[in-house]
Amino acid sequence: MQFRLEKRPEPSRLMLYGTPVAAVVLTMFIGAIIFSLIGYDGIGAVREIFFTPLTNAFKWQDLGVKAAPLIIIGVGLSIAYRANVWNIGAEGQYIMGGLAAPWGALASHGAGGWWTLPAMMIAGVAGGAAYAAIPALLRTRLNVNEILTSLMLTYASVQLIYYLVRAPWKDPMGMGFPQTRRFASEALLPNIIPGTIVHAGVPIAIIVALVAWFIMTRSVFGYQMRVVGAAPHAARYGGFSENKTIWLALLVSGGLAGLAGMLEVAGPFQRMVPGFPTNYGFTAIIVAFLGRLNPLGVIFAGIVMAITFVGGEIAQTTIGLSNSATGVFQAMMLFFLLAGDILVRYRVRRVTPQVEARA
Amino acid sequence: MPNRLELSGITKQFPGVLANDNVSFAVKPGEIHALLGENGAGKSTLVKMIYGIMQPDSGEIRWNGEPVVVPNPKAARRLGIGMVFQHFSLFEALTVLENIALGMDAKIPSRELEARIREVMQTYGLALDPHRTVATLSVGERQRIEIVRALLLNPQLLIMDEPTSVLTPQEVEQLFTVLRQLASEGCSILYISHKLHEIKALCDTATILRGGKLVDTCDPKEETSRSMAEKMIGTGLKDIVKPAGRSFGEPKLVVNRLLTHRTGHFDVPVTDVSFTVRAGEILGIAGVAGNGQNALLDALSGEIRSEDREAITIDGKAIGHMDTTERRRHGLCAVPEERNGHAAVADFSLSDNSVLTARDRLGMVVMGLINSGAARTYTGKVIADFAVKALGPAATAGSLSGGNLQKYIMGREILQKPTVLVVSQPTWGVDAGAAAAIHQALVDLAAAGSAIVVISQDLDELRTLSDTLAVINMGRLSESRPVAEFSVDEIGLLMGGVHGAEAAA
Repeated sequence: MQFRLEKRPEPSRLMLYGTPVAAVVLTMFIGAIIFSLIGYDGIGAVREIFFTPLTNAFKWQDLGVKAAPLIIIGVGLSIAYRANVWNIGAEGQYIMGGLAAPWGALASHGAGGWWTLPAMMIAGVAGGAAYAAIPALLRTRLNVNEILTSLMLTYASVQLIYYLVRAPWKDPMGMGFPQTRRFASEALLPNIIPGTIVHAGVPIAIIVALVAWFIMTRSVFGYQMRVVGAAPHAARYGGFSENKTIWLALLVSGGLAGLAGMLEVAGPFQRMVPGFPTNYGFTAIIVAFLGRLNPLGVIFAGIVMAITFVGGEIAQTTIGLSNSATGVFQAMMLFFLLAGDILVRYRVRRVTPQVEARA
Repeated sequence: MPNRLELSGITKQFPGVLANDNVSFAVKPGEIHALLGENGAGKSTLVKMIYGIMQPDSGEIRWNGEPVVVPNPKAARRLGIGMVFQHFSLFEALTVLENIALGMDAKIPSRELEARIREVMQTYGLALDPHRTVATLSVGERQRIEIVRALLLNPQLLIMDEPTSVLTPQEVEQLFTVLRQLASEGCSILYISHKLHEIKALCDTATILRGGKLVDTCDPKEETSRSMAEKMIGTGLKDIVKPAGRSFGEPKLVVNRLLTHRTGHFDVPVTDVSFTVRAGEILGIAGVAGNGQNALLDALSGEIRSEDREAITIDGKAIGHMDTTERRRHGLCAVPEERNGHAAVADFSLSDNSVLTARDRLGMVVMGLINSGAARTYTGKVIADFAVKALGPAATAGSLSGGNLQKYIMGREILQKPTVLVVSQPTWGVDAGAAAAIHQALVDLAAAGSAIVVISQDLDELRTLSDTLAVINMGRLSESRPVAEFSVDEIGLLMGGVHGAEAAA
């Protein structure tokens, strides 16, 4: 017996939107089995990781705070991926946004005002976009694959943090810790719900997603991204330059990653520390795909990913699951999603071997 | 003597369409049998089942009187069935010999294979140097590789799928000589085509399919081209109405020493192309595929921009340096040869596909936002005016059949009322009914005062449609002259360029 993939005449709408849900459910199912097999309480792990963050109201604020950067970066990536521009280095652009913002905050320490936060935001976006401009330049001028360059630049940016917090930006009063001083209050994101850790980045994430959705569905810019991704040749015929699109896609996704970096450093971190890179930029790749490269879908996908992060922390304390378990669950989700996507476009047919020809 | 091949009650169902419905016919030894039908009539499906690429749902295939199952092409070749596909599968960077060696089921030492190739070529008068690189060969010569490859297996049945669509008239004549010789030696030939005069000249029997059903089996020599065409499409054929005594107005499109640069390794750029098209005139550009037609279309549409602004002018305005969007604003619309992925995006709705080329000329963009209502209305008009069979503006381009998609694309450009319209292969793979509609629309657009350039490999199309004709060969364009002044032979020689002259000698 043989199996063969056969292209469907038209991909099923229901399956297209059902796949992410199916991927999440399968992840729970297979995850429970795997962790049981290696000697943990598998069902408990799934319960702690996927359900406790939802049932425990104290954890909701964590969800919002974790989801916000994932959504902002995920929205940017979903725009770039639509145009078939594979920016894998959002983590690096997130870091550069996070470094560009405190640069101003530290320089103006104590001399800032109402304009400090907006200025930091602009600096964050510019930092991320500028860092994404390097792969854009290399791709459009020298035809260097942006997957490699953007990914490799991430590691360079991590080293830049280490350098800055150990030498020029090091807090003189920090008792030798490699970190910057805490930002002045005007350079810190305001809390929007008193008594919680929910900062202004959370509503900003939702606004970014809604604006991006509107632009992607209604504007010529969104059309350009979609048509270049779907049919580059047709895009050229329609008058859209491929190079311009690569630039736009990288600048937008880099800029949004930079914005997320700024919101993180001015929000939860309040200073730059070597532990600033938290893989949001990589996890957002999963968020973008789980959200079907649709900014509205990214909101939900960002929340699902935030659940696994928060749940992973819970499981760490309650059932002693390693922190890497979160990564295993997230990777499984992406794997099942991509596998499911094949089945949306193709179906598996069983082919019985034929009788040999008789002449 | 039993029939070489006999099909009885062959039925093949695809999701949503019955591709072959109870088809039965027989091919005698040494017979040249035509399989006629429009696109989508089920010819390809039927042939794929004979060659083992697909399996029939029901029905029986008999080979020399014995019922057989053909599980795959390898088994078909073992039975003695050879096939020459419409699209060749050749590696351009390899030699003729290497290409043939790669396609053989059995491993044969290169020296022995070369000897056999030379023998086959000698027997059938197929001139070809086994050590030439495929990239340097004309389309006709490439086809000869495929024929030699099939003949090396001493087939008893040779299937030819639309073999002449890319050949010059002289190359067609040579091919027919080979096929007739094969038939006289007892090899049966199943000849798929929709070119009726060829079938009349070559074939002994014709089986006509329509909508997956067998309509008629007839003797093409006793039929007229028109009667066979009507059987193919099922209704009477409409003639193109061309107003008599047309006169041309001012020059609209003037191309002066246009050239493009080579981009890929094997593509053909255009050199020093000059022509003028006047208001109301249809200029036909004939030529064998791969002689610079794609570069010419891209250079005219603006996908390739010229360094010389004066190389292309519309109404006296230099546009050579402009991109496609600017050129469209100045009244130049273009339709490339490839429908899917070039002229249209398969995954997009028709409405979104209208935005692709009509957004500026028809005001579909307001402050960077797309007015989807305007796009929908325009798409609806295209669908209605050009009788496009689609569920509506929201249907995806990929859900349309080739002919309907082409009607939509032509309609999308024509209804923009361009000053100059450049189209490549406007009826490639389109059924006769749709082709007639597209031809009429082009003639009407010209009558309304537009200048039209039609790039095509179909000489019949160009001779009925064009007022003036020029021939492109190896990126160079001949002088354009009134179409009536050309004889078919002369066009053929121009199309063949040096290649054709050598081969004819």
